[in-house]
Order: sequence, then structure tokens, then C-alpha cells
Amino acid sequence: MKEAFTMWRHTQMVVLVALSAAIYAAVLIPFKGFAIIPGFTEIRPANVFPFVFGLLFGPAGAWGAAIGNLIGDFFGTLGIGSIFGFVGNFFLGFIPYKMWGAFFRRGENMEPTVNTGKKLAVYIAISILASAVCADWIAWFNDLIGFVPFAALGSIITVNNAVAGIVLGPILLLVLYPRVKRWGLLWTEIMRPDEVSAARFQTLGNLLMWVGGIGALVVGLAIGLGIYDQGFAAAGFAPTAGGAGGAAIGLALLPFLALIVVASFLLGGREQVEAAEEEAGAPRVR
Amino acid sequence: MDPFLYLDRDTFVHRLDPRTKMLLLVGAFVLTFLFVNPLYQLVVFAVVIVFGAIARSLVNLKRIWFILVMVGLMTVILWSIFASGETPLFWFVEREAVLYGVAIALRIDITIIAGMIFLSTTRNEEIATGLVRIGIPYRFAFAISTALRLVPTIAATGSTIGQAQRSRGLDLESGNLIQRIRKNTPLLIPVFVSTIRSTNVFSMALESKGFGASPERTYFLQLSMGRRDALVLLMFAVLLAAALALRFAGYGGLEGFSR
Repeated sequence: MKEAFTMWRHTQMVVLVALSAAIYAAVLIPFKGFAIIPGFTEIRPANVFPFVFGLLFGPAGAWGAAIGNLIGDFFGTLGIGSIFGFVGNFFLGFIPYKMWGAFFRRGENMEPTVNTGKKLAVYIAISILASAVCADWIAWFNDLIGFVPFAALGSIITVNNAVAGIVLGPILLLVLYPRVKRWGLLWTEIMRPDEVSAARFQTLGNLLMWVGGIGALVVGLAIGLGIYDQGFAAAGFAPTAGGAGGAAIGLALLPFLALIVVASFLLGGREQVEAAEEEAGAPRVR
Repeated sequence: MDPFLYLDRDTFVHRLDPRTKMLLLVGAFVLTFLFVNPLYQLVVFAVVIVFGAIARSLVNLKRIWFILVMVGLMTVILWSIFASGETPLFWFVEREAVLYGVAIALRIDITIIAGMIFLSTTRNEEIATGLVRIGIPYRFAFAISTALRLVPTIAATGSTIGQAQRSRGLDLESGNLIQRIRKNTPLLIPVFVSTIRSTNVFSMALESKGFGASPERTYFLQLSMGRRDALVLLMFAVLLAAALALRFAGYGGLEGFSR
């Protein structure tokens, strides 16, 4: 998580935030008219960018996704829901680069591209997880403030994000990765190892992120659709006879969301920067 | 067409400090969240519309009316299905659930219209400087304002490439949505690549002009909160206090509704 704040020291990373946000917003805006749940989500092929920019530009891609989504809201849908749209989209770009290193052993090639079967599989898995985490935050908040039921929004955002990421992401990554690397714009080439958090409990962080991300979605849908009704009501969370939604979702999802935050601190990123340094042959001096 | 909502008018609201407008925006969000009764939401809706009329920014409603109508319809439908009440209306739908849906639809539309008024009366530079003045780190505010400025440039570049290809006979208009995305994607790649490629030149240009050289920086745009801002904030505080008093007195709720 440290690098999400230390990255602001680098002018190149600040510029990458602005450019990522502008590209994301520029592609989001023309599709505002193709609504799935009007005012909340639409068909979003632009959602491929948070995954790709997250992997290539690291924290700059994550901030770019958050700001880009906010700017997209500036073109007609700015409201209180934009707050967690910002948070959800931040995680959509944040998780890909944080999780990437957890799937590769030290010394193994961990360049963020999809030129091998393993890397493609990791990319798809991470895309699904990041999509679910993004949906968890946005749908949880919108349900909590009574805007849209979790069951309606959670599944749509997950599928919408994941489809864009899985279908378009590998193509875009294959096109952009060699160029970005050649221009020295990979986040692992701009940031120094001491500016990036070290992976202390990476496997645990990996596990907690999956439990938090997928768990929140499954439990939220189960409560929202009333499947979890009886057992949850017995636990004393359900506020009404119906038991579905409302405070039940607001409370039940909190532990899962907390797991996502905890996992964000446990997962590293420094190993990717060190691997890039080893590949370059010497530590960078700036 | 200008993609931004800002309207260059000389009104009382335009002349307010951006920080005042940010506070009013947050205040409007609080106000609309106090009530779940559609009648009370209508009053809040009327207050926001009157403010928009004073700002002469309601013309922008023409650009977002479709979103507002669709948000309203979808919200009423969704809450009629997912919420419940005590008074049967038709089939499995209860009266209280529909009323709640109407109240939430108004609430969402109010927040969107309040956001629209803010953006119609506040320039991008004012938003960025206002963010810095309320404590947001400069580099973060800079990224937002730069991104805002670049969006039309990127869109225009994409459009130019599309027009150039169309003039050579490429058909981008026919086919369904998926087919159109497939046709347009290869055209967009050069836009993304050239935009990302400019990062290093952009960074060097910024640093050569002293970006980040000093923790304290000066601004061409000077903001100051004057008597006008104080008066508006005071009036809004009175309105908010009255609304809070009403709510605590038990008004503005919805009997018989449950989620």
C-alpha cells in the first residue's frame, strides 16, 4: 500500500495518473448512453483499462482508474454514489499489480504481460477477483445508502468488468507492454524498491484477498436474494421479517471488506521492482 | 459539441468561491438523505431546481434528462421488487415499496442535478484550486485537472483518426454494438499509444518549469471567500438545521416500509 502514496514523488507517475485517467474517461463517456442500470452502470468496454494500466503503471494505473471514473461521472452522473465509484475503481486497478507478484516465484519471469499460458491464466484469475472487489465496494455502498439493491448491482458490475478485462485485456496488454517497456514507463522501472511495500505474508494476503473479494460478493448476493435469510436472521443481523438487504448487507459485508483492506497491506510489490532491477542488471540511481 | 457541462455565465452562483459550492454540494447530499418520504423529497427537489435556475444552468438538464428519467424509472422498478411494505397494491408489489422507490429516485436525481449545477457553474481550474485549498495534495489535484483537460483532446484525436479512415472508405457505422466496438478498437490503439508515449516529454516539460521543486507553490487563480459566500453558507445552514429539526420531530419518514 505504501507505493500508492510514495508514487506521488515521481513526476512521471503523476503524469501517468493523469494520462491513464484521461484515456479511461475518454472511452467511458461515449458509452454513457448504453446503460444497464441507468445512472449506475452501463456497457463499459473502457473497463479494460484499469486492469492493463494497473499492471503496467502500478499505483499510477490504480489512481488513474479512480480519477478516470470520477471524471466519467462529471459528464452527467456525478452524485454521492461517485464516492465509492472512486474507491471501487481504485481497487480495480490496484489488485492486478498487487496480486501479480503473488503468483510467481522469486527468480521467475514476472513481466506483466500475457505471453505464456501461466501468465494468461493468472491475468484472467486476477481480472475476475478485481472485478468482484470493485463490485463489492460499489454495490455495498449503494445498498447501504438505499440507492440500488446489492443483488441488482453486484453481479452486473462483476460481469461487466470481468468481460471487458478478459476479452480485450490480453490484446491490449500484448500491444502496449513492449512499447511501455521500451519507453521506460513500467512502474517497476520508475519506482525504487524502498518506496514499495515488501511482501511479508504474501500467500496469506493472496488468500485473504480471494476470501474477502469473492466472499463479499457471494454473501451479499445470498442475503440480497433472500437465500441466506433464515440463518442470518437467527444470527441477529436481519432487521426485518424479510431479512434481505438493508442493514444485514451493510453489516455482513464489513468483515469481508476489512479482509480486502488487510490483504492490501500484506501483499507486496517490492519483489516485482527488484526483479525488474535484476533484469536491468544493476540498481537504479535517481 | 463541448463535452463539459460548464456554462460561462455571470450569475451570483458563478461568482461564489468553489469551496462554497463544494460545501453546498455536500449539503445538498445531506439534505436529500434526511427524508424517505417522496413529498419531502419533492420540496428538496424544488429547492435544488430554484438554485439551478438562479445559476442559469438548467439548460444542461437537456443533456442529462434521459439519464434522469431512466434512473427514476429503474429505481422505482427495482425497489418495488426488492423492498416490501404493508399495503398490497398489485400482484406482489406493495404501496410503501413503490413510494420508497419514488423517494429514492428523487434522491438520486437530486444528487445528479446538484452535481450538474456545480459543474455548470465551476471551471475545471477552480475545481482543482478549490481542492488544493481544502487540503487535497497539489499533485493529486494537478492529476485531476490535467486529466479533465486531456479528455477532449483524446476524444478529438480519436475522432480525427476515425474521420480519416472513413474518408478512405472504412465503414464504422454499420453493424451492432459488438461489431462497432471491434471495428473501432484498432483505430483507438494509436490514440492510446501516442498519449502514453507523451509521458516522458510531458514530465520533462513539467520539471523544467519547476513542478515539485518547492513544497509550497503559488497560483495564478486567487480564491477568496467573501461576504457573499458567508451569506449563502449561513442561509444554507439555517435550511439544513430546519430540515434536521423536522426529521428529528418525526416528519419525512415512511410508515410501513421495510427492506
